[in-house]
Order: sequence, then structure tokens, then C-alpha cells
Amino acid sequence: MDESLILLIILSLSLGAGCWLIFIWAVKKRQFDDTEKPKHRMLDDD
Amino acid sequence: MTSLSCNSCHHCGIVFRWEPLRHVSADGTLKLFCCRGCQSAYQLICSAGLEDFYLRDDRSVPTVKETAAIHFNDDDLIRHLVPEGELCRLDILIGGITCPSCIWLLERMISRVDGVSDVSISYAGGIASIRFDPVLCRPSEIFLSIAGLGFAPRPYSPALSDQVARRERDDLLLRLGTAVFFTMQLMAYSYSLYAGYFQGMGGGIRNILQYASLFVATPVVFYCGWPFISGAWQSLRSRSPGMDLLIAVGALSAWFYSTWAVFSGHETYFDSAAMIITFVLLGRLLELSVGRTAMSGIEALYAAVPQRANLLNGTTSNEIPVDDVRPGDMLLVRQGECFPVDCIIVEGETEVDQALVTGESIPVFVAPGRDVRAGSVNIASPVTAQALRPAGQSYLMRVAALVQMAQAAKPSLQRLADRVAGWFVPAVILLSVLVCAWRLGVTGEGIGPAMMVALSVVLIACPCAMGLAVPAAVLAACSRSATLGIILRSGDVIERLAGIDCAFFDKTGTITMGRPQVLELTISQGFSEKFILTLAASVEHSASHPLARAIVEFSARSGVLPAECRDFTVFPGRGVSGIVADGQRVVCGSAVFMAEQGVADADSGGMTDLSDTAVFIAISGKYGGRFLLRDQVRHGAGTLISLLSARDIDLRLLSGDTQQVAEKVAHQIGMNIAHGGMTPDQKLQLVRETQLSGRKVLMVGDGVNDAPALASANVSCSLTGSSDIALENADVIITGDDLARLGTAHRIARKTMVVIRQNLAWAFVYNIIGIPLAMCGMLTPIYAAVAMTVSSLLVSLNSLRLMRIKHNG
Repeated sequence: MDESLILLIILSLSLGAGCWLIFIWAVKKRQFDDTEKPKHRMLDDD
Repeated sequence: MTSLSCNSCHHCGIVFRWEPLRHVSADGTLKLFCCRGCQSAYQLICSAGLEDFYLRDDRSVPTVKETAAIHFNDDDLIRHLVPEGELCRLDILIGGITCPSCIWLLERMISRVDGVSDVSISYAGGIASIRFDPVLCRPSEIFLSIAGLGFAPRPYSPALSDQVARRERDDLLLRLGTAVFFTMQLMAYSYSLYAGYFQGMGGGIRNILQYASLFVATPVVFYCGWPFISGAWQSLRSRSPGMDLLIAVGALSAWFYSTWAVFSGHETYFDSAAMIITFVLLGRLLELSVGRTAMSGIEALYAAVPQRANLLNGTTSNEIPVDDVRPGDMLLVRQGECFPVDCIIVEGETEVDQALVTGESIPVFVAPGRDVRAGSVNIASPVTAQALRPAGQSYLMRVAALVQMAQAAKPSLQRLADRVAGWFVPAVILLSVLVCAWRLGVTGEGIGPAMMVALSVVLIACPCAMGLAVPAAVLAACSRSATLGIILRSGDVIERLAGIDCAFFDKTGTITMGRPQVLELTISQGFSEKFILTLAASVEHSASHPLARAIVEFSARSGVLPAECRDFTVFPGRGVSGIVADGQRVVCGSAVFMAEQGVADADSGGMTDLSDTAVFIAISGKYGGRFLLRDQVRHGAGTLISLLSARDIDLRLLSGDTQQVAEKVAHQIGMNIAHGGMTPDQKLQLVRETQLSGRKVLMVGDGVNDAPALASANVSCSLTGSSDIALENADVIITGDDLARLGTAHRIARKTMVVIRQNLAWAFVYNIIGIPLAMCGMLTPIYAAVAMTVSSLLVSLNSLRLMRIKHNG
């Protein structure tokens, strides 16, 4: 019981950490600099 | 695939005021254009294969001006290049971007220039970042491709302050993202622990969950919460307790207590520590994301003055850098060029457009002996001018210096919440320490229960609601304002705007439209109105003078389109002449011009108003009629004045015009006090003097001449279409022509302050009830955490009420 709980905690932490690392990468890549344009861009054909 | 309609330009969409240009496109349909500029922009777009642009229904592009020859100097532009490996990067600030379609078009047009490898334009700031191969293409080619579409490109070097602001925002974003991630993990453990608290839980599982909580809460408190901890340390050292201190004390005490509890088998409260930090970080980020512009108005002022001047040497002229111009040098200023320094005209007559310098949109006639300020545009014919001052001491540069000084002198405002926290924080900390000491010393409890009671005092007092009280209301107010066409530069503008008791208005361009309109037309006997209008429009439609445009517009509104006109001649400052279809010579212009042209009986009677202008028309030497033009008062000005005076605000009109004209306009809109003949320094002086008497000043203006006063006023306001330097210094920007929106902005500001006070009062009442309960030990930290969430929600909902404010309601 205790072992499975520890396993689950580690599993959820590593899953979450994956998302967190992607988020850090996105900030460093300046993905959040201009949040206005992409929503218009999707309406363009090309 | 057809144009919008048969009476508007296919490119820019303006409704024709004159005979349109016809153009048959490749697929055989007829396209109509308002001017050659728009036609060539259309051809450019089509030749690039981007006809799809005209299918977009959200497009609104600027009318392309037919300027003599737009000229960009590679030597000047090269200084702005940033080398990036084989390629170069060039940042360009593009003026005139109004919609996503502009960006769509610009990105495609620029990327079609040979050698450009990628283009990205930010929607918010209008800044294009272009990477290109300097071997294949020169920067001026890129500039020309932008200018050819009617947009105004300007080299842009990001100011240091912008980079700092961006780094700050990125840092905050990283901390918030991290806090959200860890707090989410933490919640899973905490809810299990809460369930265990009420229903019972095995000691082993409880311990595992507590260790996991400790593991994820630590980075939230010490990394994400670092800005608060260091802020708290600074506020301790400067002995000015603020919000940061309360947050840091709350979070740190919860963390230390819980860490101790993990090892001694008590309940933990890591989630409270993490929640506080996450919520307040969110509030900070919301505050920071309110209205940001990348534009530096002072840079724009410097950019307005050309970098080069044409020095006359006997009969030849050569280009020299403007910094090398010495007083006394003879300069040649061609048509369409800007005066590089303050000069005196020596030879030639022309008209100059001083819109940038004085905000006056009507061109001024200048003859030898008249002085002209740097930054004015020569619009009629080439002149020789003698430099009066070196470039660095020109009028424009002096204004820039005044603005910089006024900006530096403006005191930075303390956050409202900080001021509330100033006395609140020490009181809370003192209380919790006292309670802890009391429980330990007098009641004789153990350290654990005593600490627990002290902790619940800090937690119940802790500022989730207080941290959200201001940002939530400010954000709601800003987003509501934005949908009503009011842009608030930052959150603290609201507090300052609500507190003004004195408002100064510039006249030309602010209270008035800054462009004349035809008021009435008197026709001499024997002519029909339609006949006069047709002739006037035919002659005037080739002229670029605002008076001429007003007459053409007036004719178009009466349903008259211009006809053909030959031998069109401009007499600078006096009028125009031309020969119409049936061979009659038509002259249009001032009373003096009529006398020169030998026209008798020009009737100037009935001119009651000094600010009015009369334009006379004569056909084959016979007087035909008179147009009376006036710079109309802007829509909503009267409403605004009555709104503000009803709220007991002292109103004054400041104008560079004569006292009589200023008083006349002031009277017209119901204002009592007018100051005429004001220079930029005097406007600044008046603002400063009023502030010294303890009053809070709102300054509304649009021109370069208002910029120093705008920069030093408590709150400044400009309308879109104002000069860049005025916009840069404006705390409030009104979009569109309706001045009454400023009244709405003021009402929103006052309502927001009411909501903020309600929020803070709620947080306060909640503390008054909660703290004694916590001190008696009746409120365990679990209930304190629940109460915290409920009160945050209440504060957010109260703030949302601001979203229902209506314009003029």
C-alpha cells in the first residue's frame, strides 16, 4: 500500500514535471511575448 | 472579388470626394481608386500575388499619400542593424497598423523583398523584426516596400527600459507557472490529508503525504515566493512595512510551522503558504499585463528631424550630416522635405506643415524673413533658408528636453495596497506574537498549540483577498475601459484620475477637430449653387491644403463631384487657380488674393468670428461666392465639459492662439476660464503652479507643444491621432473622435475606487471577525484556509461589477 502510494506520487510528479519543463522551454523561446497575433493568424488561409 | 462599393476606393475604402481613378485589373473588372498612391499599392499587391487581401472583410489600410519621393538613406539605417551570424536583424516600428490584415499584408510584402529570410510583426507594438542578408538587399529597400503600402516605417532600437520590463515579466511568468504546477500537485496531497483529518488515516500514509507536501511546497515558498521575501527584507530595512512583508510572514510562518509539524506529527498547512504566493503572483502578473506600448515618443521626436541637410555652396549643394550644420549656414529645403534645424527663410515663398511641431494642421505661408522650426515640412516649393541654431538646440529638441525633465520629476506612486498594509502588517504580526506569548506564558500551553493559534491569526489576516482587492478591480476597470475605447496606461492611473480636481484642455486638435469645415456658402447673384460648387471642387481637388479639402468634401456632401481642370496653379498662402472644361478661368482664395487677381466686390461682410476663415471664388474675373470655414468643436466636448463641471472640477482652456479666440471657443463649450497665447513652457509652468497649490491636474492635449505639460500633470490624456510624443506621455488614450469618453473614463475611475474600497473594507471586516476568533483558538488553520478562499472569491465577484458600466449612462 505504502509502496504503491510512493510510486503513484513519483509518477504524477514526473508527469507534471514534464509539462513544467515544456512551459519553461516555451517562456525561454518567447512564446508568450505576443499573445494577440496567433488568434488572428489561425484565420489566415496559408 | 468586386470592390466594396462603386463609390469607395478599392484599396483604402474611403468614400470618393472627387472623380476616382479607373483601373482595369487583369481579370477584366474595373477597379476605382482615390489616388495614384492607392492604385500603385493595389498594383504592388497584385503583382505579388496577394489579391486575396481584398477578400478580407476586416481590412482597413491607410490611404497612401502621394509624396514626392519617399527617401531613405542607407547610411542612417545601417546604424540600426544588429548582426546575427551571416544575416542582419533590423527592427522597424511601423506606424498605421490598425488591424490583423495590415500585419498579414505587411509580413507577406516584406518577405517578398529579395534577401529577406524572415519577418515577424508584433500585434501589440507594431514592431517588425526582420532578418535579411545584407549582401542581397539594402535596408532602404525594405523601408520602401513598407512605405509603398502607405505605412510609416521608422527604425527602432528597443530602449533599455523595455528590455528590463520584458525580463521582469518573463521572470514573473516563470515563477507563476512554477507555482501553479507545484501548488496543483500539493493540492492533491492536501485534500487527501484533509480527508484523513476528518475520517482518520494511517500514520504511515499520512507521513508519506506530508513529506511529499514538504517536497513540492518548498520551491513554491522559496523560489516563487522569492520576490516577496526579498521585498519583505527590503521593507524591514527601510522600516516601511508593506504588502510583501505580510505575504512573506504569512507564507514563511506557515512553511516553518508545517515543516516542524511534519517531524513532530502535527497537522501541516503547506497548501496555505503555496496558495497565498500563487494568488498574489497572479495578481501581480495581471497588473503588469495592463496596457503596454513599446513606443518611445522621445525617440520618435528625434526621428522626425532629418539626419541630413543640403548645404548650399554658391550654386551647388551637397548633403552633410545635420549635426555639422552651423548657425549662419545656407540650406536648401526642397518640396516634401523636412526643415532640419530652426531656420529663417532667405529666398522663396512656400507653405509649411507644422503639424508635428505645433499641432496646428493648417499649413502656414512663409516668405523671406519668417522663421521656421525644425521638423516642419515644406509642402509647396523649394526655399533657401539660413540656419539659426545648431541641430541640438532647435525648438523640437528643447521640447524633448523639457519632457524628459518633467518625466524624471514625476514622483512614483506607492501602491494603494501597500499604504493600507503599512499599519496593518505590524499590527497583525504584533498580535500573533502576543497571542503566542500569552498562550505560552499565562495559559501555560505547549509550544505546538500556541504556535498553531499564532499561525491561524497570521493566516486569517493574510492577504489573499487584500492582494486581489486592488488588481482584480483594476483589471476589470481596464478591460471595461478598453471595450469602451479608453486605454488606461497603467493601474495606478485609475486612482489618480479619480482624484483630479482641475482639468486643462488644449484647444486646437483637442477641443476642436484641428481641421476646418465649411460652415456656410453665400452665392453672389446670377450663379446657381451647383455651378459654384462644381467649379470650386474642380479647382480645389488638386490642392492638398486642408481648406481646399474641406471645400471638396462639402461639395461631395451636396452631391457634386469635381470636373476636369487644366493649368492648375497654387499661389502659396493665397489661393489656387485653374481653367475648367468650358475654358473659364476660376480663382479661389483669400480676400487679398481676390484683390491681386483684380476681382471686385469680394464680400467680406458678416464675418463675426475671428477664428473663421473665408475662401472666395471668382469665375472669369467675376465674384461668384464665399465659403465660410471654421475649425469645428469636437463631438462630445460640450458633454464632457458639463459632465466634469457637474463633478466640481475646475476647467480651463489653454491655447497657443490669441486670447480672444481661446475665450470664444471656451464660451462655446461652456468653460469659464481660457488662457490664450500659451507656449509649451507656459503650459508646463501653469500645471506646476496649480500642483504647488495642492491640486491634482488632468491635462488633455494632442501636440508636441502640450507634451511637457502632459508629462508633468497628475493625469494626462490624449486622443488617437495625436503626435507620438503626446501619446507617449498620455496616461489615458481616447480612441476615436468622441471626447465624452473621457467623462466615462473619469466615472469608471471613481467607481473603481469605490469597488476597491469595498474590497478592502470587506477584507478588513473579515479580519475584525476572524482575528479574535483565531486568537481564542476557535478557528483552526484549516477553517482559516477555507475562509481565505471564500473571501477571495467574493472580492473577485465584487470587482466584476465594474464590467457593467456603460458609456454616457
